[in-house]
Amino acid sequence: MKLYCSADMEGVAGVSAWEQVDARTPHPDYAIYRHYFTQEVAAAIEGARRAGADEVVVNDSHGPMRNLLFDELPSDIRVVFGNRKPFSMAQDVDPSFGGAFFVGYHGAIGDRDAVLCHTYTPAVVYDLHLNGIRCSEATINAALLGAVGVPLLMITGDRTTVEGLQTQMPWVHGVIVKEAIGALSANSISPAAAQRAIAAGAEYAVAHAGDAKPFVLTSPIEMRVTLTRTEQADHVAIIPGFERTGAREVRFVDPDIRTVFKAFVATFRLGAMA
Amino acid sequence: MKIYISADMEGTAGVCSWAQVDPSNQHEYPIYRRYMTREVRAAIDGARAAGGSEFLVNDSHWDMRNLLWDELPDDVRVISGARKPLSMTQGAQQHFDAAFFTGYHGRIGEMDAVLSHTYSDATLYDVRVNGTPCTEALLNAALLGLYDTPVVLVTGDRTTVASVQAALPWITSVVVKDAIGYYAANSLTPVAACAAIRDGAREALAALPKAKPFTFTPPIELVIETVKTEQADYMDLLPRFERIGGRAVRFRHDDYFTVFRAFLAAMRLGGAANLPA
Repeated sequence: MKLYCSADMEGVAGVSAWEQVDARTPHPDYAIYRHYFTQEVAAAIEGARRAGADEVVVNDSHGPMRNLLFDELPSDIRVVFGNRKPFSMAQDVDPSFGGAFFVGYHGAIGDRDAVLCHTYTPAVVYDLHLNGIRCSEATINAALLGAVGVPLLMITGDRTTVEGLQTQMPWVHGVIVKEAIGALSANSISPAAAQRAIAAGAEYAVAHAGDAKPFVLTSPIEMRVTLTRTEQADHVAIIPGFERTGAREVRFVDPDIRTVFKAFVATFRLGAMA
Repeated sequence: MKIYISADMEGTAGVCSWAQVDPSNQHEYPIYRRYMTREVRAAIDGARAAGGSEFLVNDSHWDMRNLLWDELPDDVRVISGARKPLSMTQGAQQHFDAAFFTGYHGRIGEMDAVLSHTYSDATLYDVRVNGTPCTEALLNAALLGLYDTPVVLVTGDRTTVASVQAALPWITSVVVKDAIGYYAANSLTPVAACAAIRDGAREALAALPKAKPFTFTPPIELVIETVKTEQADYMDLLPRFERIGGRAVRFRHDDYFTVFRAFLAAMRLGGAANLPA
C-alpha cells in the first residue's frame, strides 16, 4: 500500500509552547523538538511498513515546512518540503494512495484544552466551516484527501485533537500522546513512549485500512471563514466569488473542494496582509 | 456638476524620485505633499469656473492619506485610507458628470515616464485587459465607465498623458513635466503647473459633450504578468484564475467590476508572496 503522511508539529509529545515549534525565531527547544517530530514520523512509517505499507510520501506540514531531519528517516521515502504549496498540508495527494496518516496534529482554533490550537493562521482565521461542519486542519485536509478517494487511517496528537477528529471520522485510529491543560500546557507521555505508541497505532491502522472511508463533503461546498479582525474581512472580500456575510465573515461556494481549499489558502494569506 | 477626482502623486510637477512621494520621508515628502494638494485644489478651482459644484476627491497615492485639508476648499469631500476595496476608484460607484485624474504616472515598463508602475511595481510586471496594456488610468477609467462617468482630465508627465490620450482621445491633458527616463524630469514649477491645471480643468468641462465613458467590451480578459514566479503561484490560488505561464495568470469575466476587484485581490495577494517563505 502506498501511504501518505502529513506531518505537523504541535501535536508531538512534550510540545506545549510555540517556542518549541517555531523555526523562524529559533529557541533552543526547536532543535530538540524537531528531532522528536522527525522520530514520530519515522515511527509511523516503521509501524505502517510492518503492516504492509511500501511506498511512503511525507508532506512536511508545519510552519516553513522544511523541519524534517533526513538523517532520521528511511532513505526510500519521498518528502514534500516548502510552505508555498497550493494544497499546503495536503499537497501531492492522488488516488494512488491507499491511506493517509496525520501525525503531530493539533486542535481547531477555539478548541478548549487543545495544545497550540489553531486553523492554519491563528492571526487571521477565527473559525472555519465547510458545509456547516466546524473544521480543524485535519478536517479540511481530510476532505481534500477524501475527494480523491484517500481515507485517513490514523491521527496523532493530544486527546482533544484526536477525539475531535474521531467525532467527524469515527473510523480513524487515534494515538493520544498527551492531555492538554488549556492551550499552553500538557500532561504528556515521553517521546520514546509516544514513538512506540505511534508505531503500534500505525501498524494497526494500516492493517485495518479496509474499515476506513474517504471523508467526502457533499458538493457544492459552502465555505464560511470567520476572520479575527474586520480589516482582514475587508481585504479578502474582493476575492472573486466571495460574499461578505458579516463584518468578520465571508462565504464562498464551489462544487470542487480543490477550488475551495485554494480559496481558503488565498484567504488566510491575503488576510495576513491586512 | 458633480466631479470625481482621483489624485495620485508621482505625476505632480517636480516629482522625479520616490523620496518625494514616500510618506516615511521626513524631508521631501512634506513639501511635495503640499504641491500634490495644490494641484488638486487647482483642478477644483478650474472646474468651478466651468460649472463644477460638488467634488469628491479620492486620495489615491501610497497609504492614501496625503492630502492636506488646509489647502483644500472646505466644501469638498475626501476619501482617505489605503484599504479601500476599489482603491484608486473608491467612491466611483455612482454617476458623476465627469472625473479628473491628477498627478497620474505612466504604466509599468513605459519608457521616459517618471516613477512608472501599475499599482505595484514589486509584483506587477504587466497588466493587460482584452490585450491592451493598461495604465492605472485605463484600469480606473473603465471602472468609472461602468457608472457612465467619463474621465475628462489627466495631469502628469508627457508620456503618461500621451498614453491616456491614445486610449481616451477626448480627454484634456495637462503636461506638467517631461520625463527623462524614470528618475528625472524637466518640469514646470508647481505654481505654473497649478495655473495650467486650473485652465485644463475648465477646458475639460467645457469639452464635456464630446467625452465618453470608457469601457472594455465583454467578455473581459485580464492578464497579469508578475515580477516573480512565486507571486503567480499565489494568484493561482484565487478562484477562476488560470495559470497561463510561469509568471502569468488570466481571469475572465463579463463584468468589469468583478475583473477590477479580482485584479486588486491578485495584486495584494501577490504582495504576500514577497514575504520570506
